[in-house]
Amino acid sequence: MGLQAQSDTTKVERLRIIKGGIRIQKTQKLYWENGFTLDLACNRIHDYRIHFGLSYVSSRLGSAMGSNAIKQDNYIFSTAYHFRSKKHLQPIVRLNIGYFYADYEDPIFDVLPNTSLIFGLAVGLAYEFDFPLTVSLNAGYTLTAGNGSSGPGTLYPIYYQMSVYYTIFDQSK
Amino acid sequence: MKYSILSTLLLIIVLGIGACSKSPEIDDNTMLDGDKIFDPSLYDSAKYLVSVDTDGLPPTTAEINTPVVIVAHGYSATTFEWDDFRTFADKNGGILISQVLLGGHGRTYEDFKNSSWEDWQESIMDEYNALKAKGYNNINFAGSSTACPLVMDLLKSRKIGTNGMRHVFLIDPIVIPSDKLLTIVGFLGPMLGYLETSLDTAEEGHWYHFRPQETLQELLELTEKTRKDLETGYFLPAGTDLKIYKSIEDPTADAVSAVLIYKGLKKHDRSNIDVEMLDSKLHVITRLNGREGVTQHDRDIQQHVFNDMYQILTH
Repeated sequence: MGLQAQSDTTKVERLRIIKGGIRIQKTQKLYWENGFTLDLACNRIHDYRIHFGLSYVSSRLGSAMGSNAIKQDNYIFSTAYHFRSKKHLQPIVRLNIGYFYADYEDPIFDVLPNTSLIFGLAVGLAYEFDFPLTVSLNAGYTLTAGNGSSGPGTLYPIYYQMSVYYTIFDQSK
Repeated sequence: MKYSILSTLLLIIVLGIGACSKSPEIDDNTMLDGDKIFDPSLYDSAKYLVSVDTDGLPPTTAEINTPVVIVAHGYSATTFEWDDFRTFADKNGGILISQVLLGGHGRTYEDFKNSSWEDWQESIMDEYNALKAKGYNNINFAGSSTACPLVMDLLKSRKIGTNGMRHVFLIDPIVIPSDKLLTIVGFLGPMLGYLETSLDTAEEGHWYHFRPQETLQELLELTEKTRKDLETGYFLPAGTDLKIYKSIEDPTADAVSAVLIYKGLKKHDRSNIDVEMLDSKLHVITRLNGREGVTQHDRDIQQHVFNDMYQILTH
């Protein structure tokens, strides 16, 4: 049984792989921002080389827990290309688009930008185990980081992340 | 502190990582970095520091009760950065100004290169201790940019403790740099060696032209430490008030630095410190002397900040 993702008069695209998991992210010289991630792949799209992702990472689940770090959220939709998609070890390139929000908490700071579009790139490696787990290590660069003149100051450009996925659904084989 | 790591990075890539570890070409006749131009406070300390005797006599009762403001400049700058405030104070009277030259600054490129942020901080403490020793009992502080995390560290460690300073003013404190690529100076720095900056004509001789990568790493270490201290949170010593003045758009110290300080640093009674966000795009608007393209709006904001500080100091 597959979930219908796209259809036309002659063929039906179906979601064949659904993985869900946790993500741990460290921004270069700033916060730990952790959260959840979902990875989806369809059968007819380049033989499972193209994956789509949804993720949420936040300092609320990282550096801001029990500290004065700024509470900030990242909502990201991503498209990734997996090389060697039939192998255990898969190099990945990923395009991220999303939304960033920081809570400055006091009205004094309403004059400062606290939201931003996220647009960036990431590269990494994923390893698919024989059992239903996948571990992915990535490094990314956000092109829309704050620069003092525009954008939230705590949206930093460089980050490193680890995601651990559990395969919820797999009809690829 | 005006530099663009991004532009330097791109240049290096284009040139194929060429002149990495070379020393900069310093023009001794025009640049502070050379061995001919030094900060004037090194020649005439009595003019700049209240603690230095001019007549060999101890300060009078009136003098020791007069508010003394230790003013300290930012990374790569000199005492020049607070000349505008000295002019204001001389005109208005009622306060004394001690213009401190941070350690490693105002001398030569090599002196700067070999200095740590603890060295930069030492001159603030030296002047504070000298004023205390002479009996001054109304000591205050105003710092711009990098001077702010330096004094915050002194307050946190209680090297300046209860009733040590009455009022502390932070002008565009840097905790979060605007140029985020400063965060990778740790591995880019050794390849770059130094960064060159552009100065306005009238600024030449008052700021270092070249920023050694070692000092950028020191700056990064200081801002990192300050951010982590604020995340943990701490309180001012009893008897000390603090106010931040922060430009909304700042090409050097990201305005969010004020948010981090406001959240992490509270008064001794656990209440919030004071913050005023300024409608400005200049870094350290308290220094307009030597800048090109200064507007009446900039002058009005500077005057407002000086008047506000003066009111707080004298009432």
